[in-house]
Amino acid sequence: MDKIKVRQICFFLAALMPAAKMLVYPTTLVYRSKNDLLFSALINFALEGGIVALTMLLAKKTKMTFFELISNTFGNVTAKIVYALFALFFFGAALLPLMEQKNFVMQVMYENVPSIIAFAPFFFVCFFACVRGFKSIGRIADIALPLFILSFAVLMLLAVPHAELGALLPVRGVPLKEVLKGSLYSVNWYTDGALVFFFLGHFEYEDRAAVKVLSSYAAGCAAVLLFLALFYGVFADIAVRQQNAIAQMSKYTTSFTSLGRVDLFFIFMLALVMIFRLCIPVQVCVHCVCRSLGVKPLIPAAIVSAALFGLTLFLNYSFLELQTLFTQKLWFVFLIFAYLIPAAALLLKRGERRA
Amino acid sequence: MSEKKQTCKDNIKKLKDILVAEDILVFSFETADGAACAAVYTDGMTDKALLGEQVARPLAAERAPENAKQAAKCLQVPECKEENDFTKMAEEVLAGNVALFIDGIGGALILGLKKISLRAIMEPPSSIAIKGPREGFIEDIKTNMSLLRNRLQTPKLRFYNLVAGKQSRTKIAVGYLDGIADEKTVQKIVKKIEEIDIDGIPDSSYVGKFLAERPQSLFKPTGTTEKPDVLAAKMLEGRVAILVDGSPIALTLPYLLTEDFQGAQDYFSSPYRASVSRFLRFFGVFLSVFLPAFYVSAQLFKLQLLPFSFLLTISGSIQGIPLSPGLELFFLLLVLEILIEASVRMPKYVALALSVIGALVLGDTAVKAGLVSSSAIIIMALSGIAAYTVPDLVGTVSVLRIAYVVVAGSIGTFGVLLLTALILYYLVTSDAYGSPMLAPFAPLIARDLKDTLYKASLFALDKRPKVFRGKNKTRLKRTGKKVENGQD
Repeated sequence: MDKIKVRQICFFLAALMPAAKMLVYPTTLVYRSKNDLLFSALINFALEGGIVALTMLLAKKTKMTFFELISNTFGNVTAKIVYALFALFFFGAALLPLMEQKNFVMQVMYENVPSIIAFAPFFFVCFFACVRGFKSIGRIADIALPLFILSFAVLMLLAVPHAELGALLPVRGVPLKEVLKGSLYSVNWYTDGALVFFFLGHFEYEDRAAVKVLSSYAAGCAAVLLFLALFYGVFADIAVRQQNAIAQMSKYTTSFTSLGRVDLFFIFMLALVMIFRLCIPVQVCVHCVCRSLGVKPLIPAAIVSAALFGLTLFLNYSFLELQTLFTQKLWFVFLIFAYLIPAAALLLKRGERRA
Repeated sequence: MSEKKQTCKDNIKKLKDILVAEDILVFSFETADGAACAAVYTDGMTDKALLGEQVARPLAAERAPENAKQAAKCLQVPECKEENDFTKMAEEVLAGNVALFIDGIGGALILGLKKISLRAIMEPPSSIAIKGPREGFIEDIKTNMSLLRNRLQTPKLRFYNLVAGKQSRTKIAVGYLDGIADEKTVQKIVKKIEEIDIDGIPDSSYVGKFLAERPQSLFKPTGTTEKPDVLAAKMLEGRVAILVDGSPIALTLPYLLTEDFQGAQDYFSSPYRASVSRFLRFFGVFLSVFLPAFYVSAQLFKLQLLPFSFLLTISGSIQGIPLSPGLELFFLLLVLEILIEASVRMPKYVALALSVIGALVLGDTAVKAGLVSSSAIIIMALSGIAAYTVPDLVGTVSVLRIAYVVVAGSIGTFGVLLLTALILYYLVTSDAYGSPMLAPFAPLIARDLKDTLYKASLFALDKRPKVFRGKNKTRLKRTGKKVENGQD
C-alpha cells in the first residue's frame, strides 16, 4: 500500500511539483526579485535539488525509511517524536497552498458561489486519498504527467504571443540582497524535496535511478522557469498584482471569439493536477501520524482533513495575513524541516534493517 | 461395487426416498432371463430414445449381467460409470443422467444420456460483428466449453469443473491456458467459487458478484463476453475464463477498464482504422459523462466557456425555461433512462411506437411548451448516443453522468474536477486479482499501451500484456527474431 516506483517519483517531480508553483508563488517572487525572479527561483531549485539528490544517495545506500533510520540511531521513541513534528510541519505546509487553491477556485471558476462551499468537498477527496496510501500518490503521478504536459504546453503556447521576454532585462538589475530575500520568502513553496525524502524506503532503488529522478526534477524546474519567464514577459511591471497567474496568461488569444475560452479547458485540466498535488502533503502528514502513533490511516485521515477544513473556514478571508506569516515569519521552519533535518539524515546510522 | 445381491426394487425405493419429485420417472424392463432392471431419470432432461435403443434393448436381449463391469460392456453408452452413493446418484439424475439398477447388482450405473432443448448457436445481439466470427455462446456449459476448445485446440487449455448453488447445483468451469495465465489468479478464483454459499445461481453475473474484490463498486468486477473468439483472445492474453451453466455470458478475470474499449473488430481491420475507432470510443465515453455536466456548469458559472455566437443561441433557447440548467438536464437524463428501461422491457412492436412517442412527440412538445430548451435536448441526446460507443460501460456511464450533472448544478466546474479526482483516486488504487484496474495507464506500463489508446499492428503486439504476469510472455515470433525469454 505504501510502495512507490522510481518512475512515479520522476513523474511527481516533473508534473506535480511545478503545478504547485503557478498560483501565488510568481507574484510573491516578483514582489522582491522583480525581473530577476528567475535567479531567486534557481537558488531555491538548487537547494531543493540538493535534498532530492541526497534522498537518492540515501536510497542507494540503504533500504530503510526515514523512520527506521532515526529509530536505528536514536530509538523508536525519538523516531515517533520526529515523525509527529513532521506531521505538524506537513499539516502547516499544506495550509497555504490550500488557501491559494480556494482563492483560485473563487476567482477563476465561480462568480456566484461562495468559494468555501465549492471547496469543501475537496477535503473528502483528500481524506479518500490519504486512506489509500503512497500507492495512490505514485499512480496519480502516472495520470498527472500527460495531463500536465498537455495543459501546460497549450497554456504556454497561448501565452507566448503576448509575452515580451525583454521585460526580464536587465539581468541582475535587482540588488542581490533582494533576490536572496525573494528566495528566502518563497521557500514555503519548496517542500517537494521533503516530500520525496519521505518516500525513502518506500521505493526500490534501481539502476540509474538517481539520474532519472534528478533529470525529472530538472525538467520540472525548467517548466517552472519557463512559466515564470513567460509570466513576467506577459505582465512585466503589473506582474506583482497578477495572482492566479496561470489562469490569466492565456486569455488574450484572439481566436476565443469563435471558439469560446478554450483555454479554460486546459486550466481546468491543470486545476485537476493541482488537486492531486494539494493532497500529497496531507497524505504524507497522515503517513507521519500513522507511523508516529502506530495506527491505521482511516481515523488520522479523517481528523487531519477535518482539521484542515476547519482552519480553512476559520481563515476564510485571511489569506493575505496567512501568506505574510508563512513567507515572512515562518521561513526558518521550512528551512529546518525541508532542508536541515533531511540533510542531517546523512549522519544517521544505516545499519541492519529492523524487523 | 458391492457384490451383495440386492434387488432392483430396494435400490429404487432408496433413491425415490431422496428424489420424491413427480418428474422423476422409473422405466422398468427385464433381461432375457427375467432379471428386473430399472432406469431412473428426470422427465424432459433425458434422451428416452437412446435409453430404449442403447440400454433397454441390449439388456433385454442378454442374460442378466453378474456385475457392473459386465453390464457396462453390454450397453452401448460412451459415458458410463458406477456409483454406490445414493446422494450422488440423485445428483446425477437431477442433472439429466440415468441411474440404471439391475437385480443382483448393488449400486447403479450412471449413464450420460442427458438431453435438454437448447437454442441454436447464433450471433449474440449485444456484440454484432461486421467482420469476423459470428458464433456466440449459448446457455449450455458443455456446448460453450466445446466452442472454446474448438478455438484453442491445445492440451494447455485446462478446466476446473466446479458446482455452486445449494439448490441449483449450477456447473461452473474455470478455464485457463496453462503457463499463460497466472497460476495464483486461477487458484484464487477457484477458491472463491468453492466458497460460494447461495441457494441458486441463475446467471454468470451472480458468480461475478462473488468474485468481485469490491462488491459495492460502481465499476464492473469482471470482464464479460458472449463470443468464443473474444474469450479465446482474452485467454491468450493471460486472462482466466469462467463459464456458468445456464448463462451465455462468459466472465473473464483479471478485468481492466480499458478492455471494454477494445472491440473484436479492431483485430480484423487495419490498425489505423482500429486506432480511430478506439479514439472515438474513448471520446464517446468522455463526451457522454462530461458533456451534460460542462453544459450545466458553463451556463451556471462559466459563460465564457461557450463561443459568443453559441452563447447567443443558447440564451435565446433558454429564455422562459422554468427550471435551472442543472434540474433541466437532470430531468432530461432521467427521462432518457426511463425510455431506455421501458424500451428494453416492452414488446418489440410497442417499443417502436414508444420510441416515436418518447423521442419525437415528448421531446418536441416539451420544447414547444417551453418546459425544456432545445439545446438541453441536443446535449442529452448526444450524451445518450455517445454512451453506446462502449456498450459494456453503459450502466456505469449512466450513473456517472447523472452524478456529474448534480455536482455541476450545485457547485459547478470545480465540483466536476473534484468528482473526477475522487473517481481517479478510486480507480488507480483498485487492484483485482493482482492487476490494477486502470493499467496500463496507472501504473504506467508502456509496453501494454500498444493495444489501449491506439491499436498497433499485429506484429507489434508480439508480447502478452505484462499486467497479467503470466510466465509465457511471447505470443508472436517473427522469423529471424530472437525470443527474449526463450519461451514459446
